[in-house]
Amino acid sequence: MAYLIFSISLLLIYMGLAQLLHVQFGMLGIPNFGVVGFWGFGMYGVAVFNVQFGWPFLFALVITCLLVAILAYGLGMLILRLEGQAILCATLAFSAIVTLLVITEKWLTFGVVGLGTIQYPVRIGAATEIIYFMLLLLIIGSFQLAINKLHQSRLGRLTIAIRDNEELAASLGKDTFKTKLILFTLTSCLMGMLGGLSAPLNQFLTPNMLVPGVTFAVWIALVLGGKENTFGAMLGVFITFGLFDILVETYLPVSPEYAVMVPNFKLFLYGAVLVAVLVYRPAGILNNRQAHTRWPNADLS
Amino acid sequence: MWLLRDSVFIGVLEASPLILAAMGFTLIYYLNGFINFAYGESITYGAYFAALFNVSFGIGFYWSIVPAALLAGGLSVATYLFLFRPAFKRGVKPTEMIILSIGLSFMLRYGLILIVGAENIYLSEPPVAYFNFLGVGATNLQLIALVLVLVFAFNLYWIIYRTGFGEVIRALANNEQLAMVSGINPHKVSVSVWFIAGVAGGLSGVFSGIFALANPLMGWNVILITIMVCIVAGVGSVRGALVASVVAGILTAAITLVSKPLYAEVILLSAFVFVLWYRGRRLT
Amino acid sequence: MKIRVRNLNKSYHLHPVLALQEAEFGAYELEGLIGPNGAGKSTLMGLLTQRIPPTSGNIWFDIDGHEHNLRTMRVHEVARLGLVKTNQRIQGFESLSIRDSLRLAATAHSQETLRGVLDKNQIDDDIESEIDHYLSLFSFSNPNGYALSGGEKKLLDILRCLVLKPRMLLMDEPTAGLPDDITQQVMRLVVEKARAQQMRVLIVEHDLELIWSFCDYVHFLSDGEMLFQGTPENVKKNRVVAEKYMGV
Repeated sequence: MAYLIFSISLLLIYMGLAQLLHVQFGMLGIPNFGVVGFWGFGMYGVAVFNVQFGWPFLFALVITCLLVAILAYGLGMLILRLEGQAILCATLAFSAIVTLLVITEKWLTFGVVGLGTIQYPVRIGAATEIIYFMLLLLIIGSFQLAINKLHQSRLGRLTIAIRDNEELAASLGKDTFKTKLILFTLTSCLMGMLGGLSAPLNQFLTPNMLVPGVTFAVWIALVLGGKENTFGAMLGVFITFGLFDILVETYLPVSPEYAVMVPNFKLFLYGAVLVAVLVYRPAGILNNRQAHTRWPNADLS
Repeated sequence: MWLLRDSVFIGVLEASPLILAAMGFTLIYYLNGFINFAYGESITYGAYFAALFNVSFGIGFYWSIVPAALLAGGLSVATYLFLFRPAFKRGVKPTEMIILSIGLSFMLRYGLILIVGAENIYLSEPPVAYFNFLGVGATNLQLIALVLVLVFAFNLYWIIYRTGFGEVIRALANNEQLAMVSGINPHKVSVSVWFIAGVAGGLSGVFSGIFALANPLMGWNVILITIMVCIVAGVGSVRGALVASVVAGILTAAITLVSKPLYAEVILLSAFVFVLWYRGRRLT
Repeated sequence: MKIRVRNLNKSYHLHPVLALQEAEFGAYELEGLIGPNGAGKSTLMGLLTQRIPPTSGNIWFDIDGHEHNLRTMRVHEVARLGLVKTNQRIQGFESLSIRDSLRLAATAHSQETLRGVLDKNQIDDDIESEIDHYLSLFSFSNPNGYALSGGEKKLLDILRCLVLKPRMLLMDEPTAGLPDDITQQVMRLVVEKARAQQMRVLIVEHDLELIWSFCDYVHFLSDGEMLFQGTPENVKKNRVVAEKYMGV
C-alpha cells in the first residue's frame, strides 16, 4: 500500500512536469529537453539545504525555487532568441551539466554515494504519505486550473501566436522574447519545485535518478497526448509512467532474471512509440489537426 | 609549458574518435540540415559490430574493423531510408525531426541492451604496447586510431573540397530542386553521404577509449559533445569540424590534467551554450 | 509623420542590394514605391520595420516633430510606434481563428500579462465591435472560423494591420494573391483612412494602375538606388523610369 502511494505520488509529479512542458512546448513552442535538469536541480537543492545545511523543508524549497528561477532566467536570456534546434541542444546540455555537477560536487551531494535521508516536511504517523499525496494532488489540480485559465486568457492567445509564427507576432507589436522569457522562467521554476517536492518521496537521492530518461518520459507523454491540450499529456503520463513504472515494474509477475530488463524494455518502447507517433501522427494521438482546419466551424473563444 | 605540451599531445591522441564522429555527423547535418541524435548509435553499433566479428567469430582485431565499419555505414543508410527520408517527405519540421532522431536513438540503444545486455564487452585486441610518443605515453591502439583518423580525414577532406562528389553534396545541401534540375540524383548522393557518415561513426566507436570495448551508452555519452563541436565549427564545414574537435580534445586534456575529466565536459557544454548565444546575437 | 533615411545600406555576402543616400517617406497621404524585380523594394520595407538589420545607415521616424531612431529598436517596438507592414507572402497563425487573430492584433500588450490572466473579463467590447465592423465589410466564407484560402489569409493579414491603428502603414504587394473585387474593397478602405488623416500609407505594387490611381507621390527604386521621385504624372513621363521599368 505504501509503495502504491509512493508510485502514484511520483505519477503526479510526472503529470505536473508534463503540464509545465505543455506550456513550454505546446503553447510557446520552446523545445525544452532539459526537464530533468530543472527537476533534478530542485530535488538536489532541497536535499542539500535540508540534509547538509539543516534548513527546514519549506525554507529549503523556497530558496531552491528561487535559485532555479534565476538559472532558468539566465539560460532563457541566452537561448530563447535562438531557433528550436539550438534551444533543444542547449537545454539538453544544461541538464547534462546539472547531472555532471551532482556527480562531481561530492562535498555537497555525496556524488554517486547518494544523499539522504530527506524527511517529509510534516510527519503525522502512518498518514504522512497519504497527506503528502493529497498535497501533490492539490498542486497538480491547481496547475490544471491555472493552465485552463491561461488558455482562455489574452496571454494564452499570445503564446499560441508565438508558437505558430513568432516573427509575425513581433511585427504586431508583441514582445515575444519577453513573453517567452517570463513564462519559461516561471514554468522551469515550477519544474524545480516539483523536483523539490520529489525529494522526500525518494528520500535517498543518487545521480542516476537524473538520467535523460526522465525528460524523455515527459516528452513521450506530451507527444502521445498531443501538444494542443494538457489532458492529452496527462493521459500520456498514465500510459507511459503508469503502465510501466507502476503496473509492469511493480505488479506484473516477472521472473527476476527478466525483471532487470523491464526498464530497458520500457525505454526501448518509449523510443519506438515516439518514432511511430511522430511519423504517423505529428500532432499526437488525441488530436486531429486536419479536422480542425477542415471543419472550422467553432469560434474557440 | 609542460601543461601546454602534454595537453596538445594527449588531446590530439584522444581526440581521434571525436574527430571521426564529428566529421561524419557534420556531413549529415550539412546535407539534411537536422541534428541527428541517432548518429550516436552509429558509434555504439560500430563498436558492437567489431565485437561481433572479433569476440564471437574470433576474427583478428584489425580485420574485424573493416566489416564493422561497413555495417555501421549500412545501419546509418537504413535509418535514412526507412525513417528519416519518409519523415522528410511527410514534412516533419526540423525540431520534430530531432525528437524523432532521439526516439530512434533510444530504440536502437535499449534494443541493443535487450539483445546483448548492458555490460561492457571487451574486444580481444592485440597486446597493448606502450610507446613514447613525443614524450607522452601512448598505446599502439591510440596511434593506429590517430593514423586511421589522419587517413580518413585526408580522404574526406579531399572528397569534399576537391572532387565532383563534394560539389554535388554542396549543391544538394544548398538547393535540392536546383541540384535535381542539373541532373544530380539526390537519392544516390544522400545514401552515399549517410553511408560515409555511418562508417566514420563506426570507426569512432571502435577506437573510443584506451582499450577497445563496447558499451551500449558510449554513443549517447559522446553525441552531445559531437553535436556541439559541429555546431561551433559551422554548418557543414568538414574543415571546421576537424579543427573544432581537435581543439575540444586538447581542451579536455588540459582540463583533465589540472582537475577532473567531468569538469572538462561541464566546461565544454557551458562554452557550447555561450557560443550558441553569441551566434544568435550576431544574427539579430 | 515622416520616415527619414540616411546612407542606408544593405548587403548580403558583400553583395549590395540597397544603397539609399537620402530618402523621405510619408510626406504625402498615399505614396507608392515601384521598381523592377530585385530593385530592393521588399528589402527596404524590411529595413524600415527593422525586420532586416541594415549593414549601415540610420532611419528616423518623425511623429509630430518628435524623432525616433528606429535603428536602436526591435521589431515589436517599431510596431508599437505605429509603423506596421502587411506581408507580401502569406503569413498567419494557423491555430487562431479569424476573430482571435484580429483580437490578438487589437489587444494592447499591457493586457497580455500574467496578471491579466486573472482578469474575469477577457473580452473587450470596443475591440469586439471594431472587429465586427471589419468582418461586416468583408465576406469571409466563415467569419467565426479560420481563414481558409490564400486570399482570405492575405486579407486577414491586412486587416490585422488595420486594427493595430497604425500611424504609417507599409503595404508589400497588397494585390498579390487577392481577388480583384477584394483588392478594390481593401484599397477603398485604406484610401478612406489615409484621406481622413488616420494614417499614412506606402504601397509597394507591380500593378501600376493601382499606383497611378491612388498615390499622391511615387518613389522609383532600381538596383537598390532611388532613381526618381515625384507625382505620378512626372514619374509616368520620366524617361529613366520608362526605360528601366515600363519597357517603353
